Amino acid sequence: MIAVDHAFHPPKRLLNRIGAIALAAAAVVTAGVVLAPDRTWPAVLTIGLFLTGMGLAGVFFVALQYATGSGWSIVVRRVGEALAALLGTGAVVMVVALFAAPRLYCWWGGAVAGEPLRGFKAAWLSPAFFVVRAIVYFALWLAFAAAIVRESRLQDADADPAHSRRNVRLSIAFIAVFAFTVWLASSDWIMSLDPDWSSTIFGVYNFAGLFSGGLAALVVFVVWLRRLGPRGVGPLHAVVTQEHLHDLGKLLFAFSTFWMYIWFSQYMLIWYANIPEEASYFAVRLHGLWQPLVILDVVLNWVVPFLALLPRAAKRNPGVLAKVALAVLVGRWLDLYLMVTPHFQPGAPVFGVWELAAAVLAASVAVLAVLRTLTRAPMVPIGDPLLAESLRHHQ
Amino acid sequence: MTRRVLLSAFEREGDVLAATEACRKAGLKIVDVFTPYAVHGLDHAAGLAPSRLPWVCFALGLAGAAFKVWFEFWTSASSWPINVGGKPWNSLPAFVPVTFEVMVLFAGVSTVIAFLFVARLFPGRRAAVIDPAVTDDRFVLVVEQTDAAFDVAAVGRMLAGFGAVAIEERVEGGRR
Repeated sequence: MIAVDHAFHPPKRLLNRIGAIALAAAAVVTAGVVLAPDRTWPAVLTIGLFLTGMGLAGVFFVALQYATGSGWSIVVRRVGEALAALLGTGAVVMVVALFAAPRLYCWWGGAVAGEPLRGFKAAWLSPAFFVVRAIVYFALWLAFAAAIVRESRLQDADADPAHSRRNVRLSIAFIAVFAFTVWLASSDWIMSLDPDWSSTIFGVYNFAGLFSGGLAALVVFVVWLRRLGPRGVGPLHAVVTQEHLHDLGKLLFAFSTFWMYIWFSQYMLIWYANIPEEASYFAVRLHGLWQPLVILDVVLNWVVPFLALLPRAAKRNPGVLAKVALAVLVGRWLDLYLMVTPHFQPGAPVFGVWELAAAVLAASVAVLAVLRTLTRAPMVPIGDPLLAESLRHHQ
Repeated sequence: MTRRVLLSAFEREGDVLAATEACRKAGLKIVDVFTPYAVHGLDHAAGLAPSRLPWVCFALGLAGAAFKVWFEFWTSASSWPINVGGKPWNSLPAFVPVTFEVMVLFAGVSTVIAFLFVARLFPGRRAAVIDPAVTDDRFVLVVEQTDAAFDVAAVGRMLAGFGAVAIEERVEGGRR
């Protein structure tokens, strides 16, 4: 077995710099809440969804590896566990956004455009029930994330396979809970922005974007952690090989294509039926200056990864892989921006300092949270019985 | 045309990997390595060039998609225009699912056919098993004796050093 550096110390100067950027961005966002609340709050909701989605993708990635008994991915599991920490960051942002809920959700007062909500919608879209549901989703996600990460870290000390077995059961339960809650949460937090619009595939669409974006974040951090250290030798240098990158590249390729598949499924059914209550969503987004952004969304989330990662050599090249993953990450933010913002700016997008500050805040806080979490445990799960298999992984 | 080859049989996966690697580094011409199952890293050890099959897959997938878009346009907008739900005759979104399926069909089936063709696996072809043991538990490395400078004794000693359990010279005649 090869030597693994247990302690990870990200460069202090780097952390300080990112921290300064985060503070500056937070100050601008706070100013935006006062000066331009109509533009800042949708931007805050967008990054809340972005961070929560990244955290969920981290837990889902780890759960998927346990549930399928995967050996190859053990060396990158800690990065997935660190991404799961973004669930807490996302929860904080969503709680902040909740204070602006009456401004964000036009149904908050019980009526839409003077028409009172009726029947099931009146019961479902009531502020109290909405808040209770949000608490239940986050409580479930945070509890599963904490339990899975805890078992994984306990195993570092005693190398007892019982921890793996417990995590397999937890992971299977999490995946079932995750499927229901992501569907409901995306309806609650995004679809209800326009309470007259509905799309039955919206939950799947959000899952696809969430996991594709989460894999992109995983790739970016893994490639970075291979180099983040003295003389370009990071803690995952020589631990994560081309073979692991190849598999991560394949996953990113597959889920980016899955996202495109679901995106088109939603678009085509709405285009075919062409009934007003469904078509309103694309009617706003495919006109004026929103249209080029929708095209850019498809390009970043699918065209770029599909064409760039098609050759085998590209998936095994850390530089190419990281650049493609960065494009997908920007695409993930743009995808959420396009779900949220057109509802508030139906004519044309207004993009400026407030939206940019929120996005910078999300990115810098995410990097800080992930790097800090990575210092709390060995860089690879040293007690996992499958670690040796993962270190020797070959295509 | 005939050629003389040197067969060496191994009992362990690691041995055949090391022997293959050494033969490639010594500049010997490796004809093939026969194994009972897929051995990881063998393609690299034998210095095999990457497969060209993905290009067949890509080209035929593209051709299938292009053909299908043209065919759907021809059937629904040109040859016999049909009004479906008041949509334009040439409605690209409606063509996408079928185009996707036909692309997958062309790419998948053509790759399999191309593989069978390249590997000369035609119906009725008789299997040429170099040694029945490779279907059971042995690994056989085949090296060609390219010219008179090929020192059978020296190469045999080298292979034995890697744990070869049997070494045999063979003359292969005609087509194989």
